[in-house]
Amino acid sequence: MTTLIAGDDVYAIAEELFTAMVDDEPGAVSQWFGDTPAWQVPVVAWVDLHGGWAGRASVTTERATADDLARALLQMGADEPVLEEDLHDAFGEVANVVGGNVKALLPTQGTLGLPQVADHDPGLPGSVLVTEVVLDWRGRPLVLRVRGAA
Amino acid sequence: MIRVLVADDSRVMRQIVIRTLRQAGYDWEVREAADGAQALEAVRADEPDVILSDWNMPEMTGIELLRRLRAEGFTTPLGFVTSEGSPEMRELADREGALFLIAKPFTPEGFREVIDPVLA
Repeated sequence: MTTLIAGDDVYAIAEELFTAMVDDEPGAVSQWFGDTPAWQVPVVAWVDLHGGWAGRASVTTERATADDLARALLQMGADEPVLEEDLHDAFGEVANVVGGNVKALLPTQGTLGLPQVADHDPGLPGSVLVTEVVLDWRGRPLVLRVRGAA
Repeated sequence: MIRVLVADDSRVMRQIVIRTLRQAGYDWEVREAADGAQALEAVRADEPDVILSDWNMPEMTGIELLRRLRAEGFTTPLGFVTSEGSPEMRELADREGALFLIAKPFTPEGFREVIDPVLA
């Protein structure tokens, strides 16, 4: 299973996503070096993959970082307040694009669930961590995880 | 002016699609639908020149929308804009009569590449 989805694959997906849709220029993200800081106010977005290969793709970051991500996607000003609805929509779409592209790497096709957003990862019973990538976006960490059935 | 209907359950993604269409240099008149069912109603009310639809939406998915449109006799050109761009989905989209499938994330260049031939 681990050979199906490598950290490099997930990093490449994220790099393309941030380049094309978030910052409109290459080099928007890089790999995070060092320990991931403990979350103060975390927010998690995920999509579940169903079918021959069941699992989950998730993105976790600080609420303030997710707010800035929503501002970037919606081309809002740096001080504009982000509505809860827009945060869920924007951050959920980030997970959706990651999940859809992860799904495209799988040898068996299934279906993709709709994006979910919460303040914590509810876990996926019976799954194991397949890969984890920590991104550095504007000096702040985002953790991308792919989990699959054990 | 080209009249386009953008169907996606994400308002953020609809905005990004519309922004990308403008960056691609087209002169569009854009209407939006939040799912396949709304898109179907919008086409029934006033058929656009082209439909750009997400695949995975509540109420009615993009592929269900395409099937319903064809079943009702609409031949409106439809392309998918979806995060799921696997070969199998491209094959299904093609088989059902979609003109193209743009995988997210996308660029203005990617839009032009598939939309130019449709508008030619």
